[in-house]
Amino acid sequence: MRTYLIRRLWQGAVAVLGALAIVFVAQRLAGDPVALLLPMDASEEDFAAMREALGLDRPLPVQFLVFLRDAFTGDFGESYQWQAPAMPLLLERLPATLELALAGLAFALLLAVPLGVMSAVYRGRWVDRLAKVLALLGQAMPGFWVGLLLILFLAVRLQWLPAFGREGPLHLVLPAIALGWYPVAAMTRTLRSSMLDILDSDYIRTGRVMGLPERTVIWRYALRNAAVPLATMIGVYFANMLGGAFVIEVVFAWPGVGRAVVDAVFARDFPVVQAGVLLSAIIFVVVNLLVDLSYGLIDPRIRHG
Amino acid sequence: MRRGVVEACLCSICLLPLPLAVADDGDDTHVVVAFAAEPTQIDPTRTSAGVDQYFMALFYEQLLTAGPDLRQRNWLAESWRLFERDGVWLIGVELRRGVRFHNGDELTAHDLRYCYLRQRDPGLSRQAGRWRHVADVRVLGDYELEIVFKGLPDSALLPLNLDLWAIPRRYYEEVGNEGVQAHPIGTGPWKFVSRSVREEIVVERFDDYWDPDSLPGIRRLTIKIIPEDTTRVAAFKTGAVDWIDAVPPAQVADFERTPGVKVASLPTSNNLFLALNALDPRSPLGDVRVRRAVAHAVDFDAIIRYILHGQGIRTVQVTPGAPGHDPALKPYAFDPDRSRELLRQAGYGRGINVNCYNLTTPREPYLKEVGEAMFAYLTAAGIRCRIVQLEYGAWINLGRRDARPEMDGIASWMWGHGALGDPTDPWGGHLHSYGDGWGWYSYHDDPELDEMVETLRVTVDPGPKEALIREIARLKHERVAGGVPTYRPLVTLAWRDTLRFEPWPQANWRMMRDIGLADSPVP
Repeated sequence: MRTYLIRRLWQGAVAVLGALAIVFVAQRLAGDPVALLLPMDASEEDFAAMREALGLDRPLPVQFLVFLRDAFTGDFGESYQWQAPAMPLLLERLPATLELALAGLAFALLLAVPLGVMSAVYRGRWVDRLAKVLALLGQAMPGFWVGLLLILFLAVRLQWLPAFGREGPLHLVLPAIALGWYPVAAMTRTLRSSMLDILDSDYIRTGRVMGLPERTVIWRYALRNAAVPLATMIGVYFANMLGGAFVIEVVFAWPGVGRAVVDAVFARDFPVVQAGVLLSAIIFVVVNLLVDLSYGLIDPRIRHG
Repeated sequence: MRRGVVEACLCSICLLPLPLAVADDGDDTHVVVAFAAEPTQIDPTRTSAGVDQYFMALFYEQLLTAGPDLRQRNWLAESWRLFERDGVWLIGVELRRGVRFHNGDELTAHDLRYCYLRQRDPGLSRQAGRWRHVADVRVLGDYELEIVFKGLPDSALLPLNLDLWAIPRRYYEEVGNEGVQAHPIGTGPWKFVSRSVREEIVVERFDDYWDPDSLPGIRRLTIKIIPEDTTRVAAFKTGAVDWIDAVPPAQVADFERTPGVKVASLPTSNNLFLALNALDPRSPLGDVRVRRAVAHAVDFDAIIRYILHGQGIRTVQVTPGAPGHDPALKPYAFDPDRSRELLRQAGYGRGINVNCYNLTTPREPYLKEVGEAMFAYLTAAGIRCRIVQLEYGAWINLGRRDARPEMDGIASWMWGHGALGDPTDPWGGHLHSYGDGWGWYSYHDDPELDEMVETLRVTVDPGPKEALIREIARLKHERVAGGVPTYRPLVTLAWRDTLRFEPWPQANWRMMRDIGLADSPVP
């Protein structure tokens, strides 16, 4: 287990470094940020002074090494736009993103687990058909569209819930539904398929023959074993929600990391993009590691060596 | 276009009777408004984008200002004059007395000199280059200062309200840059209370404001940041906010029809045009007949009517209301047959192929759609566009030139000329030929126009200046030099009729100076 952990952490560090290197080079190939920072009538001397001040006049490998050196001391540079340290800019938004991602995931699981289980148990019946329709809608309707519909009907027409902002639990409901809507479909279908395999297995049949209540057989024994692929999906979707909630954050004026990073990409704000990629990559690696470790808890037959 | 249709459909769903607006709590009136974009900087000496003015205008003031009538007036300056002394050009300023910062310090000329020192420092300010024609700002007394020019006076300082901001020197030195950003202090009518980045800023009326007659009629103001159009409109419809900016053009008519809502559509500080590379000897655009063909090929009025839903002002060279606007100068008529004829006369009877660069980032409403429509018109008239879509960063990098310009065809372009629409600075950048600190975005070379633009830069007297602008505009129009002007976008603001709001042009009309309850006394 210890060797496994060390190996995974090492692989994770390489992945994070690789992602950083790619982003570092790619964004510099995409163009010069200085033209975005200076007024249009700025002179060539102004440009040269600004490039020098930002360290952009140095060779690319030198810029990367300086970035790595500073990053190891916790200095990710100053945002070109905000003229403030880049990492704290993102870290102060991280709680909002975590809150939204957790709520979105909770919504997805609350819907997907019962639907997935019921559609497998009542295969071909109306519950199964309902799950199929929901899955289709979930895949077909992008999150921003769901978000706009939710705003128009639940906030504007019915006035049940607030349309924007982060001022309390009620403000979380609509963005969480919009964010969690998409993975519901995939989770439901995966769980259904996995449950169907499990429900046909010998030990389930044995449990039923031994007179175990159907509820116990399904929810305790079948679901637990069917949950391994779901755990993988939870990890992937959770990491995606953390890094990819940008659209939902814009629609609901939610002050999260995703919005800050995407704005930074368009503004060529290199330090913020780099800090964002690092944060996102670390979260991705950690979440995936936790998911892999959770397999052993869900199914004790799985051992990490 | 498609986005406009979608917005119109969505709007029809959410057209509802408006909920109750502002709650008047005696003197504790609190109004919540929503902006589409958020400034990154509040400190006027460190600003790098026009959007920064949205918050700066709450706290900070300048020597001059433009009123709702778009006429410049003295503000923190009691008086000012341009004069020559011993061969040196100067602007002498006498400051208004009794102006206090939010911390109680009195404004003196030392504060304005401190602003100048910060603004000209390239390590601090991104606008440092603007001061290259100024030798110094001298303090003559607590309420008197002089702006000393190196050579001839720079008339570009005027539309910038002399470009000095009243910042408190003592406070700046005490708290440093981060402290200023965390808690800005100025002389403006609003005091800073709190800010939550990407969420909101809260401000409170400054009761010791130097002009009590101009005090806002509400105690507290919260500005929410809601970038998504539909959400911002929904926030207004649900009563969560009482005032919004940037009403999507497709929904302006619906807002105008909604009872209890007031709407104002106002010209933004941007002027849009089609930049044409007339320098490349291999390019047909070097021929004035081909450039005129471009000008005749596009039905700009139809684009404004059908794509922008009327939210644009057709411009010939200088926008209506701006200094030097010449109503006698008429736009090139939409006439594709004339375009084809001009192409034939220029030796391009079979038409031409050209790269057409389009900006896709929504800096102004429906910019991408407008560009696509213009290029479609050009193609229909025989100027066959190979459209290249660019986001803002790539677009501005393409347009800014060095000795060898990259932009090799036609580009949908824009240049901010401020609320007053003064073309001095933009023409120096895209009409004057490249070199010696001029023409960083220029694709034209005309020595006669160069000389006139240089004279314009040092002409401060309004009469001769306007006459010169008219003359340059006439030649520019005739020669289709420095591109084909298209339109000036309008920004639409909407507020409930329970509010009294008079738009001021600073901060692109988002200056929340003249705001109060509808039944409160007008200052």
